[in-house]
Amino acid sequence: MSSTLKSLLVSLFIIAGLTACGPDALYDLSGDTYQLRDSDSTLVNFPGDFKGDISLVTFIYTNCPDVCPVITANMTNIQRKLDDTTGVNFIEITFDPERDTPSVLKEYRNLYGLNEQFTMLTSHPRDSDTLLNKLDIVAEKTIIDSLGYDSTNYAMRHSNTLYLMDREGYIRAEYPAHRVKPEHVKDDINYLRSE
Amino acid sequence: MKPIKHLLPIFLSCCFLFLGCGSESNSSDESGSTKEVVLGKITLDNAWARPGSQQGKSAAYLRISNGTASTDTLLSFSSEAAEKIELHESIEHDDGTISMQPAGQQVIPSGEKLRLQPGGLHLMLINLKRDIAVGDSLKLSLKFARVGTITATTPVQIQN
Repeated sequence: MSSTLKSLLVSLFIIAGLTACGPDALYDLSGDTYQLRDSDSTLVNFPGDFKGDISLVTFIYTNCPDVCPVITANMTNIQRKLDDTTGVNFIEITFDPERDTPSVLKEYRNLYGLNEQFTMLTSHPRDSDTLLNKLDIVAEKTIIDSLGYDSTNYAMRHSNTLYLMDREGYIRAEYPAHRVKPEHVKDDINYLRSE
Repeated sequence: MKPIKHLLPIFLSCCFLFLGCGSESNSSDESGSTKEVVLGKITLDNAWARPGSQQGKSAAYLRISNGTASTDTLLSFSSEAAEKIELHESIEHDDGTISMQPAGQQVIPSGEKLRLQPGGLHLMLINLKRDIAVGDSLKLSLKFARVGTITATTPVQIQN
């Protein structure tokens, strides 16, 4: 066997090995199913219903009047930055399902003029925790006594995370949601499109 | 240069008269009548508020410029559109999480600006009395320790 042929076989072996490992993923949701509800109360299987598309996934709560709207604004900025938004979903999942019912999420999407490419998702609190834990999303209630906060009126300490999920349900990139440059995300979306 | 020389004594006289009014704080003379005192200006600009639903929350942002000769303190806030307004601050922690907490009284030195902006200090409008949608406006009143209350008309808009 010539040295050239040996080199070729070794290269093929390495490529085959990498392919078998799948893409580099921060989190693998490809085999998971989380039952969530959108702002029309329609049942959504996450991430299965979004497979085949590239998705940006972030987390908010609607009683957050400062940072969460910044995150939403950044999502719309990314949407505007894309030359072609075909095959891209913009998903916002609440980490406050107790208060963010589908109708509350609908109000939020109407207030911020989010179009049909945006999906706002909520769930039963128990199911929400399972998904948040899987994705290492922190969401803790903070009750500030001086403001008269209580078990139904609270703020939250929360992650500031935007994930980029590929067509198979692998989380391939993460960003600081409220300040990532849209150009940066656009480049990564284009990279996934080229795969 | 000649006309300026003629005007200079008049200008200095005016300055003297103003200084003769006493301290910068509002004050009364011995007879009890109130005299107008010019304190300089605190100006509010770049004001805007986020949309919100009745009984919900919103946030408002603006820039406060202290153009007076002294330090002033932002004491309280009100609006016809909300039952209550609080000054809050969003904080990014070392672990990347974000939380919000009440901010204390803000002291603004002479010549300085206080910026209320997304992701930092902001006015939180609590229990909105009505829906406030993009294109609407609301009135924000800010009370300062020295200059009193200043009101700004604030457009409702979406952040870009």
